[in-house]
Amino acid sequence: MIKDITLGQFFPGRSIVHRLDPRTKVLLTMALIVVVFFCQNIFSLLLMIVFVAAVNLISHIPLRVVMKSVKPILIIVIFTAVLNLLYTDDGRVLISFWIIKITDQGIETAVFMAIRIMLLIIASSLLTYTTSPTQLTDALERLMSPLKAIKVPVHSIAMMMTIALRFIPTLVEEIERIMNAQKARGADMESGNLIKRAKALVPVLIPLFISSFRRAGDLAFAMECRCYDGDHGRTRMQTMKFAWRDLGALAAVCILIAGIILLNIFVPDLI
Amino acid sequence: MAYVLQTEDLTCIYGEGTPLRTVALDKINIGIEQGELLAVIGQTGSGKSSLIQHFNGILRPASGRVLLNGRDIWADKKNIRQVRFQVGLCFQYPEYQLFEETVAKDIAFGPRNMGLSDAEIDDRVHEAARYVGLTQAHLDASPFDLSGGEKRRAAIAGVIAMRPQVLILDEPTAGLDPSGRDTILGFIRAYRQETGATVIIVSHSMEDVAAIATRVLVVHQGKIAMSGTVEEVFSRADELVAIGLNVPQVTRVFTELNRRGFHVPKNVYTVEQAGNILLQLLHTGEGKA
Repeated sequence: MIKDITLGQFFPGRSIVHRLDPRTKVLLTMALIVVVFFCQNIFSLLLMIVFVAAVNLISHIPLRVVMKSVKPILIIVIFTAVLNLLYTDDGRVLISFWIIKITDQGIETAVFMAIRIMLLIIASSLLTYTTSPTQLTDALERLMSPLKAIKVPVHSIAMMMTIALRFIPTLVEEIERIMNAQKARGADMESGNLIKRAKALVPVLIPLFISSFRRAGDLAFAMECRCYDGDHGRTRMQTMKFAWRDLGALAAVCILIAGIILLNIFVPDLI
Repeated sequence: MAYVLQTEDLTCIYGEGTPLRTVALDKINIGIEQGELLAVIGQTGSGKSSLIQHFNGILRPASGRVLLNGRDIWADKKNIRQVRFQVGLCFQYPEYQLFEETVAKDIAFGPRNMGLSDAEIDDRVHEAARYVGLTQAHLDASPFDLSGGEKRRAAIAGVIAMRPQVLILDEPTAGLDPSGRDTILGFIRAYRQETGATVIIVSHSMEDVAAIATRVLVVHQGKIAMSGTVEEVFSRADELVAIGLNVPQVTRVFTELNRRGFHVPKNVYTVEQAGNILLQLLHTGEGKA
């Protein structure tokens, strides 16, 4: 039940996408997110779909896993699509009854929006599927390092992110344990109205908070014992290297962007 | 003989339908009699924790049944809370489940969930506190101000206060100092004698098992490997070692003495027993080979 929550959903592998420099992946993912909104006609959108599908194939991410990442946002997708459908007034009216008016333009916007959001999620999940949380925070730390010049504690932020990600599974386990212990004393967490259920969480949350503080203290102590001193003179186990494949990935995305721009300009809007 | 708790082909599977599918319990058939003090031993991951979590319906069997007083505990899903009041389960490191402002309130959590009257709850809280040796001063304190051993006792009292017919304790002495350990084993024994309740203990300490169990159940790879009295189980030392367990230290000492030619019995399981035998030998001056 709780175990189904997959955050930091790393999917280990040895594909070329997995081996890319995480910094490249972060930057390119950002680029893809922007590009998704550049796709203005059906052809550029198709090109985008093909590209994302191809990267998924190369990284050997099973379709089942991809679908799982889309599932939680399906409601948002449908909601936006319906809103777009109902609130677009331009275009030829196809159906009209009572206050509802559906236009061809409305359908187009709705479909485009739905596909865009899904592409957005699939493209950004690719990053988390192919990059371990540690690599990811390392990359963010490196990318943000220019901000150190204006006294942003980049290293601390990255360390906090790493620790937070690391402790999610631990906390999930802990919650399950405490819930079972309270259930064994007859706690009823499955029935009753909202207020009753919220109250039923108190016996779970208080022990959870206390053990989290205890863990935090233990962790701080363990880090101090190993002379952790923030960023000063800290070296890394895995150094990041910009390789030829990163240049290749960069080129691929540049070609994609060029293709999308060209398709946007030269292919007339069919609808 | 009617059993208090009984399992019929109890099977437990984790991760059904995934590559990680593991059979934690494989068609377990056991019967536990009223008033027994059953010790469950087994290696980490042998399935003993899964087994006891089926007894009060925290886990639901993949197949097979768990019978409490002859009735399937899952016959009526809505009744599962009633089952949990009758089969009190105290998890490992139960001190981390404490949450109330005072120890008394925390012990009262179970009885309150049972829907008892305030007077009855108060009665049970004091009774449970008496069993585990907590004073009124302890009851009025915050659970977070107690020492580790006291916290553990307060948490166990929270389960005892439900007056369960069967009391299950998962490693109640883990991580405690010898005196804390003795206190807990002492009141478990007293509780069982006074109330006639059935007690099930999961333990990694062969010494604890030898000291208090009336029957020992050995779980190995999701199956019952052995079942019998302390004597019956610990006399099969080689088999126990083969599955990653052992016999009490003192038993090993006496087996070795016997092997080296001293006239001492091999079936010695507790330090008291050992002390008596050694004293006898000293008095009579015999025993030397």
